[in-house]
Amino acid sequence: MLLMDERRRILFVGGKGGVGKTSLASAIALARSRRGARVLVVSTDPAHNLGHLWERDVEDEPVRLAENSSGGCVDGMEIDPERTIARHLAAVEQTMIRMLPERQHAQAREHLERARVAPGSHESAVLERIAEAAELIDGDYDLVIFDTAPSGHTLRLLALPGQLAGWTDTLLRNRDRSERFSAAMRGLTGRVEQGSSSEAELRRTLHLRRARFENLQRAITDAETCGFVVVFTAEALPVAETLEVVESLNGMHVDVAALIANRRSPNDAGDLLRARRDVEDRHLRAVHAALPEIPVIEVPLVAGELTGVEALGVLAELLQQEIVRPRTPQS
Amino acid sequence: MTHRTAALRFSERWAAFREGLTEYYAGPYRQTLARERRDEDDLFTLVVLGEALGVPDPAAYYSAELMPMLAEDFHAWHRRMGMPRSPLDQMSCC
Repeated sequence: MLLMDERRRILFVGGKGGVGKTSLASAIALARSRRGARVLVVSTDPAHNLGHLWERDVEDEPVRLAENSSGGCVDGMEIDPERTIARHLAAVEQTMIRMLPERQHAQAREHLERARVAPGSHESAVLERIAEAAELIDGDYDLVIFDTAPSGHTLRLLALPGQLAGWTDTLLRNRDRSERFSAAMRGLTGRVEQGSSSEAELRRTLHLRRARFENLQRAITDAETCGFVVVFTAEALPVAETLEVVESLNGMHVDVAALIANRRSPNDAGDLLRARRDVEDRHLRAVHAALPEIPVIEVPLVAGELTGVEALGVLAELLQQEIVRPRTPQS
Repeated sequence: MTHRTAALRFSERWAAFREGLTEYYAGPYRQTLARERRDEDDLFTLVVLGEALGVPDPAAYYSAELMPMLAEDFHAWHRRMGMPRSPLDQMSCC
């Protein structure tokens, strides 16, 4: 399936730091939007670049970055984990205050502070926002593109939904056992015990959580709906990391939609660049040999600064052309 | 004493007798089941409060959401766990 296929609703763009993920994620967004799609680009990288790239202020909520006459648009968002955690804990605090006497309110707040600074909270918060954004493909957007943090972080993030589903399962089984004992007690005596309303709310919360994790897990492993694009430059270290990332993604059953070899040195701009091109060709042959089934899209090195809507438009055009053209490795 | 009053008194006494019998036979079992259920509930509380008790919990973000629903039983819980005083500085239930 082509990278720009309309059936793709979710794309993750990943790769080594500095290879051009944000630029290409934005270019893909722009290209799709020009064919009428409503696209949301979500940056999950703590070192956000989306705003810098588009020369706009991009926030924790979607901001309009581009519109066109075909009805398509590109919105952008930079996830703020701390704000996400703060909102989450504020909601929990409201529940606590509802259920605790007045004199314990200040203590409840202190109690929640631990969760705010606990290791893992940032990742959970980012995951939460990814799940929320992925759910937008049913209504607000035709395509959601995640511009991700350099490889390792993102791979761990993609493994989280499955792990957290397991966590909620364990807790739900515990609740089931507890409920069975209650039921057995009722069966024995025919007496209905006063169940607490907390119990019902607890179960409801756990079920909602599990549903969210399961849905996300299902979405990212659905090869038709979701794909991962690995961006790299045809140099030794990025290529090595790319091959490892693809292997990890295969293990997680995440479909690798395409590889993008970015900043390809030209053949006709002097000896230095031609020499670099030769080295790149060698690396690309190795990539083709290692991963014959995955399409490799090559994007040329572009003169000038790649910032702002117009420059991104040029990149989008280049990308469009390359995707359509069948690519054979130079021999 | 009318016929109806006697019948009513008798059915009340029979109901009381039956309930007494049920309690006599089922009582011990119910107690065991109640204890089992409490063990499950205590474990649950321990898992959810892990981070607050100093046990690193990678799912702390999600556990936090479940904490409010444990608040009402917290005092009874820490007494059962063998902690005479509240283990959390912030919860002064006792």
